[in-house]
Order: sequence, then C-alpha cells, then structure tokens
Amino acid sequence: MDLILPYLATLVVFFFVYNILTWGLNIQFGYAGVLDFTFITFVACGAYFAGVFALGPGSQQNGFEWILGLNLPFPVALVAGALAAGVLGILIGLIAINRLRSDYMAIVTLATGTVLYGLVSNFTPLFDGFDGLAGLSPPFAQALGLNSNQFTYLWVVVCGVVMVICWFIAQRILNSPLGRTMRAIREDQDAAETFGKDTVRVRLTAMAMGALLAGAGGALLMGFIGAFSPAGWTSGETFVVWAALIVGGRGNNWGAIVGSFVVAVLINEATRYIPPVSVDPTLVPTLRNMLIGASLILVLWVRPQGIIPETRRRFLQLPLRPGTPPIRGAERARG
Amino acid sequence: MPVAEAILKVDHLSHSFGGFRAVDDCSFEIAAGSISALIGPNGAGKSTVVGIIGGAMRTQRGSIHFDGRDISRMSAFKVARLGLLRTYQVSREFAGLTVMENLLVPPPNQRGENLLNALFRPSVGRAQDRELADRAFEVLETFGLLALRDEYAGNLSGGEKRLLELARAVMAEPKFMLLDEPMAGINPALIARLDGHIRRLRDDHGITFLLVEHNLDVVERICDRVVVMAFGRTLAEGQMSELRQNPDVVRAYLGGGLDERAAG
Repeated sequence: MDLILPYLATLVVFFFVYNILTWGLNIQFGYAGVLDFTFITFVACGAYFAGVFALGPGSQQNGFEWILGLNLPFPVALVAGALAAGVLGILIGLIAINRLRSDYMAIVTLATGTVLYGLVSNFTPLFDGFDGLAGLSPPFAQALGLNSNQFTYLWVVVCGVVMVICWFIAQRILNSPLGRTMRAIREDQDAAETFGKDTVRVRLTAMAMGALLAGAGGALLMGFIGAFSPAGWTSGETFVVWAALIVGGRGNNWGAIVGSFVVAVLINEATRYIPPVSVDPTLVPTLRNMLIGASLILVLWVRPQGIIPETRRRFLQLPLRPGTPPIRGAERARG
Repeated sequence: MPVAEAILKVDHLSHSFGGFRAVDDCSFEIAAGSISALIGPNGAGKSTVVGIIGGAMRTQRGSIHFDGRDISRMSAFKVARLGLLRTYQVSREFAGLTVMENLLVPPPNQRGENLLNALFRPSVGRAQDRELADRAFEVLETFGLLALRDEYAGNLSGGEKRLLELARAVMAEPKFMLLDEPMAGINPALIARLDGHIRRLRDDHGITFLLVEHNLDVVERICDRVVVMAFGRTLAEGQMSELRQNPDVVRAYLGGGLDERAAG
C-alpha cells in the first residue's frame, strides 16, 4: 500500500497535466487548425519561467546560473510561466501564421522550436544550458510539514484545481462564437476571410491560449519534479501530445481526456515503471514509442475522427428567443 | 463607360503573372442596385479581376473603388467588412460545421468572438446567437434548406452547397455580391431557383450583384448590364441582346482573336 498509492498519485499528476496539455493543443489544432509541431516548447517555456520565478538566484560559483531567480511563491510562478508561454505562442505564431499555411506553417513551428532548443541548451546564462534548472524544493511542502508522499497527494489536488480552470477556458472558447469562427477557419481559411474574419488574429488567439495551457502544464511539472532540463522537452514529447489528441478525438475536450489517459498515461508514463530488461536497456523505451505510433495508426485507420469525435451542434433544442419554447423542428422541417 | 451611381469602379487595372499580362488596362463600373455580369472567353482575365477586387490578390497597377473608398490595397477581410462579398468557382462551405453553423459564422460584429467575452461573459455571445439563429432559420426556410440544418455542410449535394453559399452570404448582410460562376455544374431546375433568389435579394435587400458567368442564357435572363472582357481588357459593355449582335464580341468568343491581337 505504501508503494502503490504514491505511485498511482504520481500517475494521476501526469494524467492531469497531460489533460491540460492535450486541451492546449486542441485549442490550437482541434479548434483553429494550427499545425503546431513545437508544442513542447511552450510546455518548456512555462516550466522554465515558473522555475526562475520560484527559485532563488543562480550563483556562478556553484556552477548554476539562470536569469531572474526571484524566490516568489509558487502560484505567482505558475501564472508567470503560463503567461510567458502565451507570449511565446504569439511570437512563434507571428512568424508561422502571418503569411504561411498548413505544411509550411508546420515546418516553421518545428524550425523555430529547434532553434530555441539549441539556444536554451547551449546558452547557459539563460536556464543553465543542458544541466537545466534544479533544486526547487516542493512548493508548500515545508510550510505544511509534508513528507514526499504527502506532497504527491497535495500535488494531485493542485493539478486538479489548475486543470478545472483550464477545462473552463478550453470549453468556454469552444462553445463561444469565437470557437465557431476558429472551426470555420480550420475548415476554410479563405472563405472565413471573405466573411470579414481576421483569420491571422483569430489563429494567433488560438496559438496564445493553447500555449498558455501548455505553460501552465509545464509549470506544474516544474513544481512537481523540482527540476527541468532540455532532456525533458525533446521534439518527441510534442508527438506524445499530438498522438493523445488524435487518438482521443480532435475538437472534443472529452476525447482529449481519453487520449491523454490512453497514450500519455497508460503507454507513455505507466511503462516507465517497468524495470529495464538487462539484455537490452533500450527495449522498453523503444517498445513504448512503437506502441504510441501503433495506437496512432490504428485510430487513423479504423476511426480517423478519434475515440470521441467532435460533437455535432444541433439546433433543434435551441430556444430562439429567451422565453420561447424550443423548436419542434424535426416534424415541421422533415415532414 | 461611366454609369450613374457606380458602387464599384475598376480603373485601368493591370496584372501580370511573370511575363504574362492576364489583365491589361481594364476599366469598368458597376451601378448600385444592378445585377451585372462579367463575361468573356476563357483566359480573358475575369478570375484575376475577381481575385484583385476581393483582395485575394494584390493590386499591381490601377485602382479599385468600392462604395467611394479605395480598396486597391486592402486585405480580403477588410474588403469584406465594407460589405463586398465574393464567392468562389467551387463551393467553399465549412464542411465540418453544420448547415446552421455555416450561417452563424458570417454575420459581422459578433460580440462573442471577443476572447474576453468568450471566457468571462458567455451569455453575451449566446444572446446574440439566439437572434442570429432566429434570422438564420428564416433564411434557411426561404432557401429550402431548413430540413438540412443539422447536417454537416460537407454532406450536402453539389446543388445544395450552392444554395448554402448564397444563404450564408445573405447572413453577412453585404451591399455587393461578387459571384464567381455561381451556375457552374448546376442542373437547370436549380439554376431557375438560383436566379430567382438573386433577383429577390436585389429587389428586397438592395444587394448589387456582379456575376462572372459562362451561361449566357442566364446572363441574358437576369442581368441588366454586361461587361465583356477579352485579352485582359474591357471589350464591350451593354445589354446581352445587343452584345450578341456585336461583331467584336462574337469574334472574341468564336476565336480568331489571337490573330487580331498579333496584328494589333
């Protein structure tokens, strides 16, 4: 019991964080059709900025160096991380979205992410290069007198709260006229433009909001693990979130939850606890990646819209004016 | 040829693709409240002119005025916001949205499109949606699409998609509609319905129409005035019945034009 519960709690933390990430990508790709192939860069941005806001100043004598080091409480750091990622989303969006479409846009996001990866990894004054940030003590743990297991349970609650906020952001955008316009742009950008929609602005909004959620997820990871380095955000990590969204069902936030559970938790995280096979230590990680790829191919083959596809918005039940009864449309319209 | 109360003025427009002059010093005017047509043989430059007017292509030489404003260098969505709406040669429905949703996208000034309203005041968007849905129901009814309102637009037949495009355009409340080959690939019965809708929209809503159309019978039936383009410029203007007698127009349509261009 002492072993199982903390282990499960850890998986729940990853589940909650991946839900947030998958919703973020859903806003970008599922709603607005922005092919963001560097999603993990926004997660990293959130983690790094949350880190340097919460950590003390890095000191060169000990070989640690990073910008800021403000020693602020974790909630402030979390907001800062999310906002920093949102701003980065707009910046990368300005490069990728402004004049480019579909595949070209995707290539530019990938390229920009690769450039940033190289920069952060090699320019140590920023976030300590390849070694990355480290030494963040578990937030709230000391004040509340928690041991490491209790901290894990606390973090389930913290992630749960942030997740609920992110759910509201994602759902409210989806169900608003803004979400409808995003989906129209996804379907046909030129046609949306001919109806006076500022498609660049709307897609930048999607990019920023998706990145904001990614940043919040990254900040939660930073607080949980206490460290973050370039090894944690290789471009393969972007693929995990993409696979989760496609498997679960793009355009549907419930689908994103299913996808994040199947791909990110069951396949990607739970298998990390399988002991390495002594003959070939890379066997398990390799099988894991193959399994993610296989799940993606399987879904695209038998159910390309995902496990829970985008919901069709029916207007039969919608009352037209406040106070008027719903439309008895089916009989009248089809009969 | 200047017209009274021109809503659209195309002035000395020229456009080249590499070394090829698709549009060569083309000028014409469209009267407000008219149903006009832009016709001409393939390669006359009609589609290029449409692309430039709609803002999809950048104006290289010349100018375009719409409703008294210079729109030559405006981007497509800004032109659309002035009330100039174009359609495409192929149907461009929002395939993954329902028919109803297709009609709710176009209306301008939707407060629910504001991010802060979407996040913190969803009731604002919902209230406006209710009014828009009300109007959309009427529009769907007049276009005979009401039964299909919950269907994905991508599942409609070719003719239904054409009707949907027109219905969707009405929701945008345009002043001017630029229809690029609206009758292409449509069966004759539906053509009669479409041109009825076009006339009704002009009469009831005062919308000016400019049709790019190859079906000259339709043009003769519903258009007040016709602009003929050939070799990138305006060849003739007038009523279709007169133009049928015009030797230049007949020659441009039946060929032999290339020799003339080489000689000129």
